[in-house]
This record gives sequence, C-alpha cells and structure tokens, in this order.
Amino acid sequence: MRKFTKPTWLAIGWLSLMMFFAIFGWVLPFKSWNFVYEDDLEVGLFSNGHILGTDSNGYDLLASIIAGTRMSIFIAIAAVGLGGLIGSVLGITAAYVRGKVDTVMVTIFNVGLSVPNLVLALALVSVLATNVDINQAVPTWRRVMVLIMSLTIVLIPILGRIARGATLSWTGREFVTAARSMGMRDRKIITKHIVPNVLPALIAVAFLAVGVVIIAEASLSILGVGIPDGASWGGMIARGRNDLEYAPHVLYVPIAFLALTVISTNHLGDVVRAQLDSREAKV
Amino acid sequence: MLKISFWLKRIAQLLIVLLLVTFGVSLLLRLIPVDLATVLLPVGTENERDILRAELGFDKGPIGYYLQWLGNFVQGDFGKIYFSGGTEDVSAHLADAMPRSLLLMAYTQVIAIAIAVPLGVVSAYRAGRRADKIISNTLFTLSSVPNFAIALLLVIFVGVKFAWLPTLGYVPLSDGVWEHLKHMIMPVISLSLGLIATYTRLLRADMIAALREDYVTMAASKGLSDQRILWRHVLRPSSLTLLTSAALSMGGLIGGAIVIESLFATYGVGFEVFAAIAGRQYVALQSTVAVIALFYVFFNLVVDIASGFVDPRTRDRRVNA
Repeated sequence: MRKFTKPTWLAIGWLSLMMFFAIFGWVLPFKSWNFVYEDDLEVGLFSNGHILGTDSNGYDLLASIIAGTRMSIFIAIAAVGLGGLIGSVLGITAAYVRGKVDTVMVTIFNVGLSVPNLVLALALVSVLATNVDINQAVPTWRRVMVLIMSLTIVLIPILGRIARGATLSWTGREFVTAARSMGMRDRKIITKHIVPNVLPALIAVAFLAVGVVIIAEASLSILGVGIPDGASWGGMIARGRNDLEYAPHVLYVPIAFLALTVISTNHLGDVVRAQLDSREAKV
Repeated sequence: MLKISFWLKRIAQLLIVLLLVTFGVSLLLRLIPVDLATVLLPVGTENERDILRAELGFDKGPIGYYLQWLGNFVQGDFGKIYFSGGTEDVSAHLADAMPRSLLLMAYTQVIAIAIAVPLGVVSAYRAGRRADKIISNTLFTLSSVPNFAIALLLVIFVGVKFAWLPTLGYVPLSDGVWEHLKHMIMPVISLSLGLIATYTRLLRADMIAALREDYVTMAASKGLSDQRILWRHVLRPSSLTLLTSAALSMGGLIGGAIVIESLFATYGVGFEVFAAIAGRQYVALQSTVAVIALFYVFFNLVVDIASGFVDPRTRDRRVNA
C-alpha cells in the first residue's frame, strides 16, 4: 500500500462525507428540505439557524443540499454501476471471443459513440420520460429511473470500449495461452485471469465516469428534463438561476458541492491510473 | 493503391455507422407511447392528422418510415416544426443556427489551442519544476469544474455584479464585430477552460516523451537552441495528439454547447435540440440529431486525414495495420 498525498486524502475525505450524507442524511437532525421558512427568505451564508442560508422560496439550503446529495450520488452510482457491469461484460466477451461477435459489438459501440453524450442522453430522456397522457407531469421517481437508464445506455459504449481494449491487451499474454493449453474453460479463464487484470483500468475509468454522470445529470436538470423541484444538485442549480441576481449564494452552494465532488472523483481516478501505470511498467 | 482502398473502407464504415445511428433515433421515436400525429397537431381534425401521417410516413412500419425520412433527409428536406399557426422548415432553423454554433466552437477550439500550446510547451520544458506544478494543478482543478458552473459564475460576476458584458443573446458578425465578440466572450470562456486543461495535459505528456527521443539529442548536439528544438522538433509530432484530441473533444463540446447556448440564449444547434425536445417536435429532433452525428463523424474523418499530413509516419502505420 502506497502512501497517499495530501490532496488524495482530501478527495477521499470529501467523497466519504458525501457518501455519509447520501446514506445517513435522512436520519441526521437536518431541517426538512421541502419546508418553507416564510420568515427567512434569501438569508445569506452562515446565518443564524440556516448555516448555508435560504433561497427566495424559503427553502433551507443545507437541508436541500443533503437531500440533493442523496439523489445525485444515487443516480451517479446506479448509472456507473449498471453501465460498467453491462459494458464490461459486452466488452470483455467481444475481445475474448473475437470474430463476428467482436465486429458487431464494435459497430454498436461506434454507433453509440458517434452521437455526443449529452445529445444522446437528452434524446433518450425525452423519449423515455414521455407520458401516455402528454398533459400529465411525469412523477419524480419515474424521472429518476429514466435518467439512470438513459445515462447507463450512454455509458455502455464508453466503458465497453475500454473493457474491450484492456481485455485485448491481456488475451495475448503467455499465462492466458498457458491456461488455455492446459484445458481451462473459457469462462474460468475470463473470471480468473482476465477480469482481475482488467478491473483496475475499469475502476480508474469508473471514478471519471461518476464525475461525468454527475455533470450530465446536472446539465439535463438545467435544461429542464432532469430532476425537477431542486431535488438534486442540478435541480438546485436550475432553480437557483432565478435567484442569480439578488441571492447568488443559492447557486454557490450546489456548484461548490458539485465541483468539489467531481474534482475528487477525477483526482482519485487519476491516482488509480497512475498506480496502474507504475504496475504495468514493472511487469 | 492501398491508400485509396483504405480510405474507401473507412468511409464505408462511417456510412454504416451513420445509417445505424439515424435508424436508431428513428426507431426510438416510434417507441414513444403516444400518437406522434396528435403530438404534432394537437388541435387539428382527425382528417388533417391522417394527411400528416401519410405525409410523414407514420402510417408505415418503422423501416418504411425510416426510408421515407432518409429519402427526404438526403435531399435536404429535414421536415417541419409544427405550430398552432402553421409550420416552419427545420432546414431554415438549422441554417440560422448552424453558423452560430460553428462560430462558437471555432472560437472555443482556437482559443483553447492558442492557450494550451504555450502552457504545454512550458510545462513539458520545466517538467517537475514549480512552473509545471502550478500549471498542471490549476488546470486539473479547472478541468473538473463543469462548464455550466463556470458560465453561471461568469454571469454572476462579469455579467451582473460588474456588468461588463451582456449575459444574453447573440449578435451576428454583420451587425458589428465588437458587439458580436462581446456576446461570445463568456460562452467561449465557459467552453474552453476544460479543453485548455485537456490539451495542455496531453501536449505535456507527449512532449516529455518526445524530448527523450534520439533526434532531440541529435538536434541538441548539433547546437540548436532549446527554443528551436522545442518548437520545431518536439511540438510538430506532438501536435498530432493535439489534433486527435481536438476531434475527440468535439462530442463533449457539442454537448456542452447545448447547455451553454441555452444559458446564454445564443440559439445555436444545441438550442434547437433543446427546443425540439421541449416543444415535442420529434421530426425536428430526429433530423437535428442526425445533422449533429453527421457533422461529428465527418469532423473525425477530416482530422484522420489531416493527421496523415502532419505526421507522415501514421499514414504508413495505418496502411500496414
């Protein structure tokens, strides 16, 4: 175990705090995120009773950000988990089997990659979140499901291609040939020899993907097709735009949380990749 | 002629990808659990809707619909946007929006490369020293801040608090260069900061590797100045990475531009996508997404070809591969 630098500890600390808020936020004695404090409108940062202030609707920003953390982190982890799982299964299989399966898979990945991420996500969300009765609003839980599904679909070709590339660089190694010549089953070769070697590369990318998903969710919410009513970080930014002129701290709070989280995940992704590179160099 | 057959094969692959993308989007529309004709003509009579269904091919199966759409698309008919008062051509909207987005992206790429090249050269030359550390760490942090966050902070400080720049709208070049640029500064900064970080980082890594090559030692032993070696011998091969990365970042840039264009109300192509979704203009959405994919794929092809000119070694490598 290598010693971590100070920024790495900070990143780990911040992400742990976010995970803590996401998991235990609802049992901690925070204020209710959707309670309106009519007497405390647009209270500034570090005010008495409202540490992060309130917005022009009278919502407590600390309570909102805790609830938003749960939503944003949940969406990010769910989408990256699902996308990573499906993408790596497809990518590893394609690279291991080669031949026609590989050609088809690469074409599918290329199709997915030839539409810019956010455009694809926008199109998917708008189609999947359409109600049969178009005059009825789509409930929030369904929007969350649709967002996770769309972002998963966006992530599959990205992560799948990386899994495929990483697998290709291992299937040619001697120990795989040796295992095969000793009569080891393909499935066992994949689980015993390929997956453990491909996993670190995928973990490094997964950290980056969490950041990408958090930003994508926020972008979609700002465009009005994501999470409504300030129920996620992006939703808070979307709603805070109304207070931009007279109470900009309503925007500072979610932007700061979002930026710090993405900086942390990107940094950790980098650290994992650097460790990986130094390990590769030794091989 | 290996080369020509290589490019023909590559173009054929891209065409297949484009056909599959547009078919996928077309299929996606047919999966919407609502009647498309009713969405497009909410107040029309059933008879009018029947005419529209026949006109757009909604009455056919998914493949028939796609073929009809594709036939119109390749002839430049991108469909219509339906209002309560009548219709507007999508192609007219795109003709209006395209130059705005292309200018925005061109400015962003030019600014990003213009700033990233000197930063990359300095940080590669001083690798591991203080200047390198400051540049690398600052840029890393900036690259993690999403573009809409930068845009909103710019609007709060530059636009509202100090009121230096207009926060909304777009002014065409013909209405005055300075006015045009004034409206472009904030969107371009929002989009380019992340790119500067990516480009600098890649250039730095690539140039550090190039500095270890034999021909650099050779050039140094000939007595060439550091300046000349850096800019002439090291930057040129490394600029290939930059070019490829510029092409790859185009997708993110198009996506980022949707948010930035709607925050600053510049009404570019990204905004057209957003407007099509908000207004349930599904035919317009299909055609606009197809145009974006076409543009994106075409841009990647151009960069592929261009990289052969910058570094002849890649041409041979490709042909042999």
